[in-house]
Amino acid sequence: MSGLKLSNLSKCFGKAEVIRGVDLEIEDGEFVVFVGPSGCGKSTLLRMISGLEDITGGDLWIGDRRMNEVQAARRGVAMVFQSYALYPHLTVKQNMGFGLKVRKEKPAEIARRVEDAARTLQLGSLLDRYPRELSGGQRQRVAIGRAIVGHPDVFLFDEPLSNLDAELRVHMRAEIAALHKRLRNTMVYVTHDQIEAMTLADRIVVLRDGRIEQVGSPRQLYSRPDNIFVAQFIGSPKMNICAASDLAGPLSRAGVDTSGAVQVGLRPEHLRLVPEQQGLMTGQVVISEYTGSGSLLHVEVAGVGTMLVLSEGQEGPRPDDTVYLAIDPGNVHMFDADGLARRAEDAGVSASGAMVAER
Amino acid sequence: MQLTRRQTRVVTRICWVLSLSLVAVPFVFPFLWMISSGFKSATEIFGQPSLIPNVWRWNNFLEVFDYQPFARQYFNSIYIACAVTGITLILSSLAGYALARMRFAGAGLLMLFLISALMVPEEVTIVPNFFLMRWLGVMDTHVPLILLPVFGPHGVMATFLMRQYFVALPKELEEAGKMDGLSRLGIWWKVALPMSRPALAAVAIITFLFSWNLFLEPLVFLSSLENFTLPLALSNFTDPYGAPLWHLQLAATSLAVVPILVVYLIAQRQIIESFAMSGVKG
Amino acid sequence: MVALNDTEATARRNSVPWLTLRRREAIEGWLFVSPTLIGFLIFFLGPLIAVVFYSLSEWNLLSQRATYVGLDNYADALTANRDFWHVIRNSIFFAAGLVPLNMALALALAIALCRPGPGVVFFRTVFFAPVVTSAVAWAIVWRFLLQGEAGAVNQLLAHVGIDGPNWLREPNWAMVAVIVTRVIKMVGLNMILYIAALQAIPRDYEQAARLEGASGWQIFRMVTWPLLAPTTLIIMVITTIGSFKVFDHIYLMTGGGPENGTLVLAYYIYEQAFEFFDIGYASALAMIMFVIVLALTIVQLLLRQKGSA
Repeated sequence: MSGLKLSNLSKCFGKAEVIRGVDLEIEDGEFVVFVGPSGCGKSTLLRMISGLEDITGGDLWIGDRRMNEVQAARRGVAMVFQSYALYPHLTVKQNMGFGLKVRKEKPAEIARRVEDAARTLQLGSLLDRYPRELSGGQRQRVAIGRAIVGHPDVFLFDEPLSNLDAELRVHMRAEIAALHKRLRNTMVYVTHDQIEAMTLADRIVVLRDGRIEQVGSPRQLYSRPDNIFVAQFIGSPKMNICAASDLAGPLSRAGVDTSGAVQVGLRPEHLRLVPEQQGLMTGQVVISEYTGSGSLLHVEVAGVGTMLVLSEGQEGPRPDDTVYLAIDPGNVHMFDADGLARRAEDAGVSASGAMVAER
Repeated sequence: MQLTRRQTRVVTRICWVLSLSLVAVPFVFPFLWMISSGFKSATEIFGQPSLIPNVWRWNNFLEVFDYQPFARQYFNSIYIACAVTGITLILSSLAGYALARMRFAGAGLLMLFLISALMVPEEVTIVPNFFLMRWLGVMDTHVPLILLPVFGPHGVMATFLMRQYFVALPKELEEAGKMDGLSRLGIWWKVALPMSRPALAAVAIITFLFSWNLFLEPLVFLSSLENFTLPLALSNFTDPYGAPLWHLQLAATSLAVVPILVVYLIAQRQIIESFAMSGVKG
Repeated sequence: MVALNDTEATARRNSVPWLTLRRREAIEGWLFVSPTLIGFLIFFLGPLIAVVFYSLSEWNLLSQRATYVGLDNYADALTANRDFWHVIRNSIFFAAGLVPLNMALALALAIALCRPGPGVVFFRTVFFAPVVTSAVAWAIVWRFLLQGEAGAVNQLLAHVGIDGPNWLREPNWAMVAVIVTRVIKMVGLNMILYIAALQAIPRDYEQAARLEGASGWQIFRMVTWPLLAPTTLIIMVITTIGSFKVFDHIYLMTGGGPENGTLVLAYYIYEQAFEFFDIGYASALAMIMFVIVLALTIVQLLLRQKGSA
């Protein structure tokens, strides 16, 4: 088992630069998820680690070996593909044992390892079937089994759940988490689904346009995003972003100093509906979307714009109702002109006081 | 009398069958006439024509083998066609795979170069090839009959057919092969080829027939009877004055054509599809 | 984790090997195509270049060695002191008869057989059968059927009171016979190409037109035919090129006769090269054929581009 180090890694397709100087260290045994909008380069980065794409610049280390020019199969990594990539002309057993056979492993050893993996993934009864005879979830399991069998140092997952229906996706997500707990291998996982990223990752890497926007634990990304992009990408529904000048008055009443901030971010789930006298802002409900556990309100706040507010409970306000909103000072995110976070410790003053007071 | 809708349909159908049957006569008749005449004696052939011979002379089919080393010639055709088909399958799928999947400098230029080859008829290059083969000392052997089809326009067509098929295969399977530790050659042999059976079958079918039916090359390169291939042998059933010995010629032609026809009738769907594939893409 | 104190080891590992993954792929790529490429250079491109030089030389039975004569061979051909223009006329006549007949019949058969139904597979199989049959066998049988009075075709015609000509012994009839038998041999190929094209046309168009009250002929004229245009163009060029390459069929049915009435370009090249051993002249003819086919192919590519645009 081993960790990974990416230093100043870059990739060009012809003139287009799709990965621009990525630096990242992944600890041994860590579960790291790459997320980002489509076209951000997350899959390309994964394929550069796997050896399926060559590396234009920078260095890739797995353990203490530089891997740039090492062939895919010799890097000690295994990959689970989005389309599963099971060989249609081989049975489940043959599919899983294929890599070992290519590496000239003894038949008895291959059989033993395939059985082991099949037990782990509950594939025992399917071993003699062909991929076309399996359901999507079963194929996914076989694909994972094939990766396990080779005892790789590092597992790579390329959007492995995106071809499954919603229910199965939740189930397989839990299975992958359990697998990581049991195997304790380094795993790198690519997805565009931030829920998947949040639930699975030890650390999340948010990518945009071939660059890392932020690296951190799910909790860090959610509560302390480095910039507006991460703030809006993580969390659902999306964070409200408003001009700081429009909210300076209301927020100062809550003890938040917005001086120096250009934009302010408020998460819909942090905005609370309160009685009139406690309200920082007053608004009118435009649309109310019932979600079961509560409602998602589109609230028009005079002089600020439309804000999303998540209200809990069955009896939410109706359209045209007037509502009063408040927020805890610790949940206010401030950004400067470049969209970078202005933290309390940078601002130095009252906001930090409020945060301490809150705790 | 007004016909009902159903009746109109039946009448239309009958007209359809009748007119197609009429058109089919010159397509089927030659085969039937060829086989029946192969059973006739030299004299009956020019008598009152009838599809059923008066006397079934099975002897014609034996005489064919006395007149020329026909069995040997038959075997020549089979083994040459097999060799051409085998070599073409391997080379065209290798080159087709590289053109479909591998990135290397000059690939685009190479494609253009090969496309240009598709348009040059064999008749244009046969004269220099004649001298090349003479220089190599392989006149009156089967070497030119194997090399020229493999490396001529037909081989290029097969390469393109394979390329088109490989391009459409899912890439991830081959990447999985790479992760499993297969070399390029291993990916080609163990992953790409097993998934390309329809294209391989198409190339095999049209290549086999192409070689089997080749005439100009054998005519130019072969001179001794025992080296002849079937098409050349068939044209050679003549009396000393060059007039055809019809009963033998037609018996021999039947022997050459009927096995192919039987295979065609069994696998007509596959064979027709193969030609459609090559026609659309070639 | 990555911990390398040994600077020497770092340097060694950091130095980029010559065989990068990219280079390896390029080398493997060339290795994969090399058998085809090398064979192609020797047996195809080399000879093609050689033809150019041959065509500029006098090289025949009299002058055993090739001597450079410039464009004499071409002048020889074009200034009509040989059969050249006669051959070109025959080739054009052959193509002009074969191509429209082939395509019209192919289209008619394709329309009759493009929808599944009882008997369709049977008829398709029948019309395609001559395509898989060797041209030699086909020519031999037809030569037999088309003999003067004793031939089966004329005997059949006699039954309906027609006195058939001696097909292969009269120049004009010989050409007709060669064209028609060639069409029967090859029409199946174009038929299946047309069937594939017809099946690719969505039935919605036809049904929409029928709802608007169009007759079968109107639907064909206004809907089917325009949609088939790209296919028609491609088939036309392929068939025309094919018609210039026909050799075995004519060699066996008429031997270019009677009175050179069926002497076409491909046959003429063979005759000059391998019967009269006039290599220089034959090579000039081959170059002319190459140019004709090249021109037709370029037309085809242009049409294809226009069609896909």
